[in-house]
Amino acid sequence: MSSVVISGDSSGTVTLTVPSAAGTNTATLPAATGTVMVSGNMPAFSAYASTPQTVSNSTATKVLFQTEEFDTNNNYSSSRFTPTVAGYYQVNAVVFISQTTQADTTVWVYKNGSAYKRGFGLTATSTKQQMTMNCLVYCNGSTDYIEIYVYSDGTGSATVDANITTTWFQSCLVRTA
Amino acid sequence: MTLYDKIMTLYPSLTQEDFLTVIRLQNDSDGKGDYIAKWEHPTLARPTDEELA
Repeated sequence: MSSVVISGDSSGTVTLTVPSAAGTNTATLPAATGTVMVSGNMPAFSAYASTPQTVSNSTATKVLFQTEEFDTNNNYSSSRFTPTVAGYYQVNAVVFISQTTQADTTVWVYKNGSAYKRGFGLTATSTKQQMTMNCLVYCNGSTDYIEIYVYSDGTGSATVDANITTTWFQSCLVRTA
Repeated sequence: MTLYDKIMTLYPSLTQEDFLTVIRLQNDSDGKGDYIAKWEHPTLARPTDEELA
């Protein structure tokens, strides 16, 4: 016969709450060991650029996303995401850039100050480019942090667009460590 | 003149591919400006601060 064992090293209580509506519900635990994910330990944030930003040509430049839409664990600050829960994070970013001359552009995820993953880059067919970035990043829940950088080659100047719909940065925990 | 422009003045033979592979110019948007984050060019020496001044 299977059994449920609840144990812990410190005092306190664990409360399992069932829905107040009548009915039968079944929660099946998988045959695996790991950490249960509840909303309280799943950091998530979204931010967007609210001020245009000038980018030097052929220079990987950190993109500033000045305005938060939400930040459930207060892990986002100064355009940097430093999650305090160890695990694997889905990272998404879109950057819209305008240039004075046509140029190739690339968006990067930086981890701890170094290039980690290179996102979708565009070849120069227009002076306006919108790039996307999606990847998974492991963060240790203490010192690891994530930022977004953009690169635009060519001879002219470039400006990151400030708009909630066109230049934004998001991340959320998808699996604990 | 940007850091890129100064480097290109010193080494006009550099290509865009160089700046994506063996050289990385970076700006951390912290007010400190552009800087050379990586210089691993096989034949051209990293410019000195005096050359970039």
